[in-house]
Amino acid sequence: MKHSRLMLGAALVAATFGLGAATTPVQAQDGKKFKIYLSLSYSGNAWQSEAANIVKALAATPPYNEMVELTEVISGTDPQGQISAYESMIEAGADGIVSFPISSTALNRTIRRGCDAGVLFFMYDATVTQPCVYNISYITSGFGENTAQALVNELGGKGKIFLSRGVPGNSVDKRHTDGALSVFQKYPGIEVAAEYYSYWDDRTTQQETAKALVAHPDVDGIWAQAGEYGAIQALLDKGGKLVPMTGENSNGFRLALADPAMQEKGLRGVSAGSPPAQSGYAFKLMMEILTKKRTLEPSNIEYPLPWVPADSVKVCEGETFENGCNAFPDGVVPSSFVTEVLDPVLLPELSIQSALNGTPVEGATIQPLPEEVKIGANEPGINCQDCEPPADLYRLTKIEPTVQP
Amino acid sequence: MTPQTEMLDKFAAERDTRKARRFDRHTVSAVVVFALCVLLILASRLVSPSLGSFQQVLTVMTLASFLVVLSFGQGLVILTGGLDLSLPALITLGGVLTTTWIGNGPGAWYLLPAVLAVCGGVGLATAIGIVWLKVPPFIMTMATSIIVASAALGLTNGTPRGASPEILLLLMKGSYLGVPAPVYFLVVFAVAGWIVQSRTVLGRYLYALGTNREAAQIAGVPVTLVSILPYVVSAVCAGFVGMMLVGYANGATLRMGDNYLLPSIAAVVIGGSSILGGSGNFAGTVGGAILLTTVGTVIAAIGLEQGLRTIIEGAIILVALLLLREELFERLRGLSAKVKSAG
Repeated sequence: MKHSRLMLGAALVAATFGLGAATTPVQAQDGKKFKIYLSLSYSGNAWQSEAANIVKALAATPPYNEMVELTEVISGTDPQGQISAYESMIEAGADGIVSFPISSTALNRTIRRGCDAGVLFFMYDATVTQPCVYNISYITSGFGENTAQALVNELGGKGKIFLSRGVPGNSVDKRHTDGALSVFQKYPGIEVAAEYYSYWDDRTTQQETAKALVAHPDVDGIWAQAGEYGAIQALLDKGGKLVPMTGENSNGFRLALADPAMQEKGLRGVSAGSPPAQSGYAFKLMMEILTKKRTLEPSNIEYPLPWVPADSVKVCEGETFENGCNAFPDGVVPSSFVTEVLDPVLLPELSIQSALNGTPVEGATIQPLPEEVKIGANEPGINCQDCEPPADLYRLTKIEPTVQP
Repeated sequence: MTPQTEMLDKFAAERDTRKARRFDRHTVSAVVVFALCVLLILASRLVSPSLGSFQQVLTVMTLASFLVVLSFGQGLVILTGGLDLSLPALITLGGVLTTTWIGNGPGAWYLLPAVLAVCGGVGLATAIGIVWLKVPPFIMTMATSIIVASAALGLTNGTPRGASPEILLLLMKGSYLGVPAPVYFLVVFAVAGWIVQSRTVLGRYLYALGTNREAAQIAGVPVTLVSILPYVVSAVCAGFVGMMLVGYANGATLRMGDNYLLPSIAAVVIGGSSILGGSGNFAGTVGGAILLTTVGTVIAAIGLEQGLRTIIEGAIILVALLLLREELFERLRGLSAKVKSAG
């Protein structure tokens, strides 16, 4: 008797929740706004603020400005903070959560609870292994192996290199480095002389590279994750030559790649890596699902890898990426500004002011996303649990080897 | 024999005639720390043949200059029995204001003192909380840290703009006679800091306050003023480190100070100062800062896993601290005395 009453209660609760979830979009059309949360783990570097700013700008762009109530929550660098932030958002009746997750596994239980309550979870850049979320990320696009091959090509297959890595123990850092090593290990002529953690930060990269240069002044190339501009600075501080290097998308790095004076000193390479634009893409996808313009099951969605070799750097004249430009003049943005925050196809609504200040572009309206989404590969421990990675996980997609091992 | 003369005889017998006492133990600490640095740099040849060079010394000194300036302020605060946790936030504030007001805006180099004044003002507010409102330094500086860091985040919308003013580039990137400018700066700052802490009235007041607050008050030390000053100096030093980092890396970020808090405390303690206040010497702190940086460069050259490297780094710091313990000197001294009396 007691049992059946409990069951009845549970069924009632489930029904209420189910009903709630089903009717939300209708309510929204009746003039009630979608409750969307933007959950950051930490803030304070250019990448994180740009990613957050474009979501704010999109939410303030018509017609979303009438439909969305966006709340930003910054919970710090520990998973507990983000777990409790998610809990509060679920309690508050969130329709959707756009988030940069701090851990790929620690948040899973809370996320599951949220999914059961009908909340849509969209993770950008970093991913989680919980299958009920949408992971929007470039992580499956092969940053590590492609940039490593580009460096090997520049070096003619032999030389002493540095690996400037990200944050120790972080799954993203490990994925990139494993991908890169899969290439470097094929070439016996490539010697990894020093490997250091630069925390994806310009200043740390500069100091760590300076330290490594003391022991290995004869380095031939640098493979770097974000913070790459610091590595150039460290080489310049030594007063000597520059070397071929690959790095991510900082404006300073792109301008340096295209600068004849720097090329004269020996700088060559390619700019690729994590685009802050992923957050905007995630938010727009979520809104298309909430407004029933698109049906899409939770999945790993791949964001295309930006790929800009030195000869493709083109400085923009205006405040948007037009006519194929992909960097901004010195003085318009700081050198640590991450350029790949705009996208003429996916995010035509935005300008550089949106990225810097979170403001919408006057007169812009939300444009629909392309129909196609690209499903990303399985990466165990990164975007799925107990799953098998494809055999060709580290296959090259952006560049061909020009030297044989 | 009267009791008085008996007593006097006893004192005379116990009078310390050992020569070693002429050097106070802080001077010994400082010398030992510097000796350790030299030893480590020479030993680093074993790690990589490119190490152990004069070039390495210059790189270490350049990288240590940030920590030396920072730990001067931290050292003064620790000397009076406090602890300043707000340094990373103030480094960021100094850096961000420098790039926004000067590097990017219409301002010129003469606004640099204004940036330092703002930092000093924050330090003053912290000190007021500690001295008058009696908030424990640990909590008060933590609160300041959170407030200042958030203000910097708000001020910049997350993306600090602007580049470094020319004058800071000269300070951090210049080079004279083959020696980088920050090395000259480090030497001048170290001497000036040592004089302030060990040879001025203010320095004496700070030691007095840190040793015994009540006694200092009775002895006529202006206790309130002397309690406030270290926090202001510390904040100004941190703001200046922010400027140095801007010059070094030609720009500011909101997390630029994050890696400096614990090293600033460690440098002071490794240099032989008491974490409880009242004793220490800036020469030792400078040595501590250089030692920490040296360990960093040598460790960076070892091709080991990051985990192992960090373990080795921690172990070296621990060994250095143990070597510098007062008891060790006493024991060594006792040992040499025994040897002498035996001989």
